[in-house]
Amino acid sequence: MSFPILVLVVSFVVLLVLNVPVAFCMGIATVLSIITMGDLPAFVAVAHKIATGIDSFALLAIPFFILSGLLMGHGGIARRLIDFANVLVGRFRGGLALVNILTCMLFGSISGSSAAAVSSVGGFMIPLMNKRGYENNFNTAVTITAATTGLLIPPSNIMIVYSLATGGIVSIAAIFMAGVVPGILVGLGLMIVAAVISIRNQYGGSEKTVSGSQAFMTFLRAIPSLLLVIIVLGGILFGVFTATEASAVAVLYSFILAVPVYKEVKIRDLPDILLQCGVTTSVVFLLIATSMAMSWVLAAENVPQDISRGLLALTENKVALLLMINTLLLIVGTFIDMTPAVLVFTPIFLPVLTGVGIHPLHFGIIMIMNLCIGLCTPPVGTCLFLGCGIANTTVTKIIPRILPFFIAMIVTLIICSYIPALSLWLPDVLGLLK
Amino acid sequence: MGKLKRILDKTLEVLLMVSVAVLVVDVLWQVFTRFVIGNPSSWTEELATFLLIWVSLLGAAVALGRGAHLGIDYFTHKLPERCRIQTELFVFAVVSIFSLLVMVVGGTRLVMLTLALEQISVALHIPMGYVYLAIPISGAFLVLYGVIGLMERFTQLKKGVAL
Repeated sequence: MSFPILVLVVSFVVLLVLNVPVAFCMGIATVLSIITMGDLPAFVAVAHKIATGIDSFALLAIPFFILSGLLMGHGGIARRLIDFANVLVGRFRGGLALVNILTCMLFGSISGSSAAAVSSVGGFMIPLMNKRGYENNFNTAVTITAATTGLLIPPSNIMIVYSLATGGIVSIAAIFMAGVVPGILVGLGLMIVAAVISIRNQYGGSEKTVSGSQAFMTFLRAIPSLLLVIIVLGGILFGVFTATEASAVAVLYSFILAVPVYKEVKIRDLPDILLQCGVTTSVVFLLIATSMAMSWVLAAENVPQDISRGLLALTENKVALLLMINTLLLIVGTFIDMTPAVLVFTPIFLPVLTGVGIHPLHFGIIMIMNLCIGLCTPPVGTCLFLGCGIANTTVTKIIPRILPFFIAMIVTLIICSYIPALSLWLPDVLGLLK
Repeated sequence: MGKLKRILDKTLEVLLMVSVAVLVVDVLWQVFTRFVIGNPSSWTEELATFLLIWVSLLGAAVALGRGAHLGIDYFTHKLPERCRIQTELFVFAVVSIFSLLVMVVGGTRLVMLTLALEQISVALHIPMGYVYLAIPISGAFLVLYGVIGLMERFTQLKKGVAL
């Protein structure tokens, strides 16, 4: 390891442990490392990377999906999806748990945010399930893990970040489609676990069966919400919109649904929603900006190639490599939030894996699945803490109830790691595989 | 100090809200001109990217004021309160120094260089230097919030928390 990289790694880790915001950790570590290289104007160089790192029209989809997610979260869309899911799976043993998972998948897909799914779906479903005799910590565990499926089922902001981090090797449309099957598989895995636990504990079951006409009405009422996904994905797939334009249409659509149609968001709530979108956006974009500066230094010092060589010296076996990288990502994911993890580790690991013949789309899905598990684990787990807050419980009480769901997630991860077709089949059929 | 922070918050928040709203309208206009009028507007894409740079950087200052930036509080949370406040002092200090040196000083030099090279944007014909002005300006706000954060922690320490 060269001296500038040693400086970079040590200062990054020290600052991170001291709770310096990750975006600044990356910026400061980069500046220190450039200073030790000696011959570059460090301050201007980093300032320049910050400006050019976020100078991209494709990235604009991120604030727009955040904004439409916020409008949806406030706009009563979750409730209509819950009714719809109830018609589909509510009558089985553990029905409400299944409804919860299915709604999280639908809502997470529409809003693209796992935190929004935990608060919008969990805020309604957890109390309801408690009332029907399901156990609170079980309900919370279901919600927390199911909420992450929305990050795999498109549209999804983290996938746009991944596409950027690969340097555009992977198109946004392709990675969106690659996530569909794995996302549904994770959802099914969670449903199986929830059903088994519910049967064993005699939870729920025999929710009133609805008549055919009632079911049809519920479906009709959910259509406008479901239509959003179809407009966005259809538009991108058939080349009608770019991802950014589609996201702007999503904002308009969710605005119309939430304000004049469902009347659940008032005009006077809008400034706050815009502001919240601005703040969340800038948190993500400052991360992107400084990580661009950091990856530039890493690339200049040949770090990805060195790590590649180091890993390949250990083993050239594809399975062993995947296993090592999965384990590493799982550990990283428990400590670091998703966006910085994707930004930092994609450029480092991608060359090794493509070198042994793993498709960049496949790797993207593996990475996101790994980091999804990290969202539900201590010490740093956005969904976990949000869920505990909503359900008024503690991490210690949740852990024993969430473990079976982790097993489902890890098993699906292993399956998706070793069967690339699960990620690559759909983009291939749609002609998105280059 | 509290009053200064409130004025700062309000100004930046209004700027941020308006910029996000303009962004949405701008890109919708692009979609409209492409699909309805059939003659896509030439400047909307560029305006959107420039606004995005300003939103991201100005918002970064607001986020610092609200403590919204992502960090790892796992280790510092285990410290006794006094130590924790001391680490927070350190955090605000390094953030301020970074913002001052890289964003204000480096950013200003970047703006000067770009203006001197007379780099002009393709569609809107704006000198790129003005777009990059977002860096030193946001840097200045970050330094302000950093210093406010420092002062708040100092007062806390002086009052002797957790005695």
